[in-house]
Amino acid sequence: MNQQIDDNLRRVYSDASSEPVPERFTKLLEQLRQQEQGARAEDQDEDHRAASGDDDH
Amino acid sequence: MIEHLPAMRAFAMSLTRNPATADDLVQDTIVKAWSNFDRFQPGTNLRAWLFTILRNTYYSLYRKRRREVEDPEGQMAGAISEKPAHDGHLVMTDFREAFAQLSDEQREVLILVGAEGFSYEDAAEMCGCAVGTVKSRTNRARKRLAELMHLDEDEGLEMTDAATLAVVQGNPAA
Repeated sequence: MNQQIDDNLRRVYSDASSEPVPERFTKLLEQLRQQEQGARAEDQDEDHRAASGDDDH
Repeated sequence: MIEHLPAMRAFAMSLTRNPATADDLVQDTIVKAWSNFDRFQPGTNLRAWLFTILRNTYYSLYRKRRREVEDPEGQMAGAISEKPAHDGHLVMTDFREAFAQLSDEQREVLILVGAEGFSYEDAAEMCGCAVGTVKSRTNRARKRLAELMHLDEDEGLEMTDAATLAVVQGNPAA
């Protein structure tokens, strides 16, 4: 009985989790990624200024 | 993170039972996870971490909001009072309706333990409760599902009819 319930559960759940990811989320992730890169670039600029001549960038 | 998004949406849907709300919940989860990513311990289970954020967000923000606008238990109660017909598709529909009637905590453990296959220990950690609580909650949830679907041990066998079996075997859990 539990096995049958879990089988049904997995069937319904795998239906739901096989739906394509809406653009809303791929865009959001892209946006977050860009924000982070922007923040990192600023950090690096500051590092550069703090240690000019440092060539590990 | 993107590879876990379909599962996060399915889990959110199981909790909220509303596609629009589920996607709002997923969006909040993504933003929270992203801004707290320094707290994720590399080498641990990313999906479990994301699911934890998702369910915590649901309980802290969404559950109260939903209760204010609808009464799913009341609305759904009449819908499944008739004995289900034993046909693969109808059984699946009955299953969804029965599942929707469980409590939030019962749906949660069934997804985590039954569908995702997390251990009781992992599920307990994700839910912030004792392992024994997860076990008993899972057992009660399964029992309640069987009751809602009017299944007893004999009738249970009919769920393994050819149509149901085919779809179950043809679609292994993600």
